[in-house]
Amino acid sequence: MSKNLHEIRDPIHVFVRLDGDERKVLNSRPFQRLRYIHQLATTYLIYPGATHRRFEHSLGVMELAGRVFDVVTNPENVTDEIKEFLTDITNEDKRRYWRRVLRMSALCHDLGHLPFSHAAEDKLLPKDWDHERITREIIQSELMKSIWDDLTPHLLPDHIEKIAVGKKKARDLEFTPWEEILSEIIVGDSFGVDRIDYLLRDSHHAGVAYGKFDHHRLIDTLRILPVPADSEQPSANVPALGIEAGGLESAEALLLARYFMYSQLYFHPIRRIYDIHLKDFLVSWLSEGAFSTEVEKHLETTDNEVTAAFHKAAFDSEMIGHDPARRLVLREHFKLLYERNPNDVNVNPESGETIAQAAKEKFGDANIRHDRYSQKDSSIDFPVKAGDGRVLSSTTASNVLKHVPLISTDYVFVNPEFSDKARKWLHQNREDVIRIPEEDENG
Amino acid sequence: MDRLKRAVLLTCLMEKMRENGSWCGETHLQKSVFCFQHLFDVPMGYEFVLYKYGPYSFELKDDITGFLADSIFEVESMPAPYGPKLNYTKSAKNLQNSFKRTLNKYREKLDFVAKQLGDKGVAELEKIGTALFVTLQNGKESPVESRAREITKIKPHILNDEAIQAVNEVDLIGSQAQSLVSTA
Repeated sequence: MSKNLHEIRDPIHVFVRLDGDERKVLNSRPFQRLRYIHQLATTYLIYPGATHRRFEHSLGVMELAGRVFDVVTNPENVTDEIKEFLTDITNEDKRRYWRRVLRMSALCHDLGHLPFSHAAEDKLLPKDWDHERITREIIQSELMKSIWDDLTPHLLPDHIEKIAVGKKKARDLEFTPWEEILSEIIVGDSFGVDRIDYLLRDSHHAGVAYGKFDHHRLIDTLRILPVPADSEQPSANVPALGIEAGGLESAEALLLARYFMYSQLYFHPIRRIYDIHLKDFLVSWLSEGAFSTEVEKHLETTDNEVTAAFHKAAFDSEMIGHDPARRLVLREHFKLLYERNPNDVNVNPESGETIAQAAKEKFGDANIRHDRYSQKDSSIDFPVKAGDGRVLSSTTASNVLKHVPLISTDYVFVNPEFSDKARKWLHQNREDVIRIPEEDENG
Repeated sequence: MDRLKRAVLLTCLMEKMRENGSWCGETHLQKSVFCFQHLFDVPMGYEFVLYKYGPYSFELKDDITGFLADSIFEVESMPAPYGPKLNYTKSAKNLQNSFKRTLNKYREKLDFVAKQLGDKGVAELEKIGTALFVTLQNGKESPVESRAREITKIKPHILNDEAIQAVNEVDLIGSQAQSLVSTA
């Protein structure tokens, strides 16, 4: 008789436990592919320890999703009001079904990642495609259908698809309030376990201690809470994922950890320029200048094929993509010419774009690269259950949350051959160049 | 429409909503931008879907977060049980000076939306927003009762009488907006 509970050692969660059905997904080709997708793209070129993969992250997300589910559906943690609204919580069969759906969705949530994860996503997929859409395609593919059909009892792939990517990435699908809560457990802006796992894991592997926080306390205090009728949210009784007041400090620590990890690691300027060189290489290397969205073709390509290709191209000047490849392999990356500061932002919040355009006119398009990102997926507003039983907005309950900075980066890079000239040019012309250009006549 | 122009229009809308009595949290902004964009075909580029509390744009939410990150907006906490209020900063006011043409082009329409919605609470905005969403989908020729029925189906906590009232109000706002467009 085969063993039904399997244990996998994990540096973050000690053990990840999975049952026989989950192991069928683990053994599937789409999931095994994640062994060859770096979690942090080219970050290992700056932080040598950051060589971990989407494979172990996905296992970690599944482990945490199960833990959160057990806490927020524990009858002692659910109020009568919530039980009345989310009736699936009190039905033991349904509760068991949704727990399996949630863990399976967590396991599958990253199946659609391209080689090198996010590094190449924005320019190398057709319009309206992203990795979440490919994830949905894989979950609904014939390949996975044979696994879903083989599970006892069956899990509906439609449920797994929705919960894995959430409403933002599945706008065409209807979500019940319960399904919204479940997807929030995985991809939520405040307490999504995807984020909890990647902060802890990336911090561990990169050797950057800022990403650590007390996730045990945070998870223990998570609750499904009714958003108060008089608050910002218009409908009475619509539940949301929140915390008990005792967990507020750990929620603050999570948001601070995120800020520090973004500023220290994810948006390290040299890491960003390596990603840009990788993107430039892929645009030349890929036959259509973009990745395929077909499931079979998607599964054929991992970081391994891309790495082998850019290593070869780096040493052969005749090969396509030679220039960006050698910048990656021989560490001849573009140099940082400009990084925004708060004074510049007051003059022009898009100062990097303005400088990049002027620098391109001066030094040529091919010698300048611009990298801009403003944080999007963050929410500091969530319900907090106070000691007296009232449910408050977190921005009222915490003095810290509203002061945690959000990340906004704006870098301009220059070909090292021009870096001295470009720096001198920028120093002499900065005040003029940085200003917001005149509006055209049409507004 | 580029990002800074969107920031300027949002700032101005926030300012005018406040002048008309709104404390302007995210829900107020979401619903008023929805009406502004769709009543006047303004190319802001936000896609709205029906979500927990009526029409909602994830792109607008991303923009708001981005503008907070760029110190164009800031968050102010409100006394319980309210959620946070959105404010604009000095940088936002500076931006208005750089985009006067854009502002002049849309000022009257922003005024109109703020006058119609500024004094409404979030529950009212949910009804009006959902009624406009349903009207845009079904066409304003669709009978009031049938649109109201659809609203109560989508939002069971909204009573039929309230839904009828919201549809009538949306039709009135729509025709007034139309006359503003034709006189512009």
